[in-house]
Amino acid sequence: MRWPERVMGGPLAVATGAVLLTAMLGAVLLWAGGYDPLAAARAAALGAFGTRDALLSITLVRSVPLILTGLAIAVAFRAGVWNVGAEGQLYAGAVAAVWVGLEGGSLPALLLVPAVLGAAGVAGALWALAPALMKLRLGVGEVITTLLMNFVAIYLAAYMVHGPLQEPRGVFPQTGPIAEGARLPVLVPGTRLHVGVVLALVAAAGLSWLFRRTRIGFQMRAVGASSDAARIAGRIDTRKVVLIAFLGSGALAGLAGGVQVAGVTYALYEGLSPGWGYTAIAVALLAALNPIGVLATAVLFGALEAGAAAMQRDAGVPAVWAVAAQSLVILAVLALDRVRHRAGSEASGV
Amino acid sequence: MTRVLARLSGVVRRFGSVEALAGADLEVLEGEVHAVLGENGAGKTTLLGILGGILRPNEGTVEIDGTPVTLSSPGDAWARGVGLVHQHFMLVPALSVLENLALGRRSTPGRLSRTHAHVRSDASRLMERTGLDVPLDVRVESLSVGQKQRVEILRALLRDPRILVLDEPTAALAPAEVASLFALLRDLAAEGRAVVLVAHKIDEVLAVADRVTVLRRGRTTLTELRASVDATSLVRAIVGGEAADRVSVWSPGQATAPRRARGQEVAALVDARARDASGRVGVDGVSLAVGRGEILGIAGVDGNGQRELALLLAGRLTPDTGSARIPDGVGFIPQDRTLEGLIGEFDLTENVALALHADARFGGRSLLRWRDIRTEADRVRVRFGIVAPGIDTRGGALSGGNQQRLVVGRELLVATDLLVAENPTRGLDVSATAFVHGELRQVTDAVTGPGVVLISSDLDEVLALSDRVLVLSRGRVHEIAEGVRTREGVGALMLGGADAVA
Repeated sequence: MRWPERVMGGPLAVATGAVLLTAMLGAVLLWAGGYDPLAAARAAALGAFGTRDALLSITLVRSVPLILTGLAIAVAFRAGVWNVGAEGQLYAGAVAAVWVGLEGGSLPALLLVPAVLGAAGVAGALWALAPALMKLRLGVGEVITTLLMNFVAIYLAAYMVHGPLQEPRGVFPQTGPIAEGARLPVLVPGTRLHVGVVLALVAAAGLSWLFRRTRIGFQMRAVGASSDAARIAGRIDTRKVVLIAFLGSGALAGLAGGVQVAGVTYALYEGLSPGWGYTAIAVALLAALNPIGVLATAVLFGALEAGAAAMQRDAGVPAVWAVAAQSLVILAVLALDRVRHRAGSEASGV
Repeated sequence: MTRVLARLSGVVRRFGSVEALAGADLEVLEGEVHAVLGENGAGKTTLLGILGGILRPNEGTVEIDGTPVTLSSPGDAWARGVGLVHQHFMLVPALSVLENLALGRRSTPGRLSRTHAHVRSDASRLMERTGLDVPLDVRVESLSVGQKQRVEILRALLRDPRILVLDEPTAALAPAEVASLFALLRDLAAEGRAVVLVAHKIDEVLAVADRVTVLRRGRTTLTELRASVDATSLVRAIVGGEAADRVSVWSPGQATAPRRARGQEVAALVDARARDASGRVGVDGVSLAVGRGEILGIAGVDGNGQRELALLLAGRLTPDTGSARIPDGVGFIPQDRTLEGLIGEFDLTENVALALHADARFGGRSLLRWRDIRTEADRVRVRFGIVAPGIDTRGGALSGGNQQRLVVGRELLVATDLLVAENPTRGLDVSATAFVHGELRQVTDAVTGPGVVLISSDLDEVLALSDRVLVLSRGRVHEIAEGVRTREGVGALMLGGADAVA
């Protein structure tokens, strides 16, 4: 029950170490590739944090879907549900959000925005329901089913923007803009930062509270830590908890799609997500599945994306270097976390 | 002069800040059965791990055949003829028994099927010689605990070790199996091999060992010939001088508990049937009733429906047919405390919360009252003498005995009507065993107390504690009449029914 200390002593140290390790490795790679690591780092830092606009309009805006999908992964993984389908659940949410946003133009914003976001959450949860039922009824492993459901959702979205939901002129493979009343208000005037970021913060705080204070949160942690002990010692209905984790995770990922549509793009198109549902796994693991930690790691990955664009623009370094850097972060986390665990089990393995 | 096969001197092994071994010595002679005794956490498993090449010492030397060696892997140890049988199973659940046995073999050139054929014939011969009977073509995951242990022992013997090291080999075996295992160990020793075993039951050690080494807090406190020790002197060496007077030595096989008055009925099964995880019939038509303030002992060899009966009585399983009347206030001590009794990464408070979180007193419908749960956790820690820095200590950081104190203490909190204990002292040392037995007796002292069901493969334990004894064999129960409540009588009934199952 002493989360701060646990996070400080372990996961936070791992995260910091991973970032430092990645910075060193990245510098060596850039140098080997004939680029000036310092110039590239400067460009990336300025592009991510250097100006008000860089921080608010680029880095934070990109962090919002990462926070929500990162929380989606944290909910699932905490309960031992290996949902790797956040990407598909995000698209399901985006499709539902766009549909409500296009059809509901007559409603006042006070009703329409909640309807859009609610539809996104429900759609994401429903998208996760299929793998959940397959796991609980038939014993099919969710890693495969959730992953495959991603492709179904991505192509469903593609079909929608080429077919039923295509913009009225039928020229571009995208939907028309959603109603004004369906859009999330801008939070800081003069920037693109929308109120979705508040929603993400509230979701993180809510989840943190859920895990610490509520019965279902405790049950999820118990099932994730040891399904057998949860069932035998805790008399917990593990199937019910697993189902709730699936649905909650899917709803959060769906919400990420809805927030992106209602807050940033106002429309649906192919490639809406650059793989947030997958990056979210790294975001959540780097945060040791701690919801508050997800806020920090999501911003880190948001900044990496923002910095990558700036690096390409201002230092002539191809953006693929940033993708490589992201991968390095993940590898470093895995390696350092392993080291930490080994030290831990040595200490208690009498 | 007898040859020294292995000698460990001044061995120190630290895990983080914990010193598991603080200068332990062990000498293994050709042709001897050497028992290692000590409390949970005394360092026995660590010492054997060093001899078996799993752990490396921080200080001290390991000599084999008089030459100092560095054993950096189990393979190194095997190459020098040291074979280790683990306390915890190191088997691949998804593979068959035969495949698991083949895993332990140096790969012979040629086809896998030929290796398997070799292993099959070797194993069959070995099983015949040792009486360690297991079906070869069944997946390990569907075996009972006792059967898995037999597979572990078989696997080690197949490699023909010069020094056979066994960590608690008898914990899951029936008395007759223990006897045949001991006969086998004596045979192995007679062939000039050395057998080193960790055991908890002093009578077993006295029955089989040539020499005894006692560890206490990581140091060797005694190494003596069997002839020059007795139960009292061993207990004294194990628990230390002053503590020995407080541990009432439980003398197995002699005293049987007197029957006490039985209170109001609290739980009952009527013609209950239940299948095990693999769909085979576990409990096959059992009717029984449990009254307040009594200990109902259920003896039997593992794998005869014990698991399903325990789960039924604990309300963790509903019968397929028949009925079960189980009260609300039921506590359950599952046999595998590390897997089912507690969660290693949860701290003491959270582990106590496992049993309390559904109770309205510790939370509303949705929120948990952590302050109240912490108070309870601290009471459990103090009252049951759990050695831990505080209630923030992780369950996985406790020694086996302290983990069981935690589980027992927690379940006693909720067992207002019924307590189901499934092999509650397996793998525990003398003082932890005495603690568990004392708690089971104490909670049933009053006729208004909870009823206790003690399901155990340790016949002596059942006989010593129970007011009534049933034998569970092939999924059915047989009541033992007062007159035939002897070790031999019950043991025969246990095995008579068990033959067809194993």
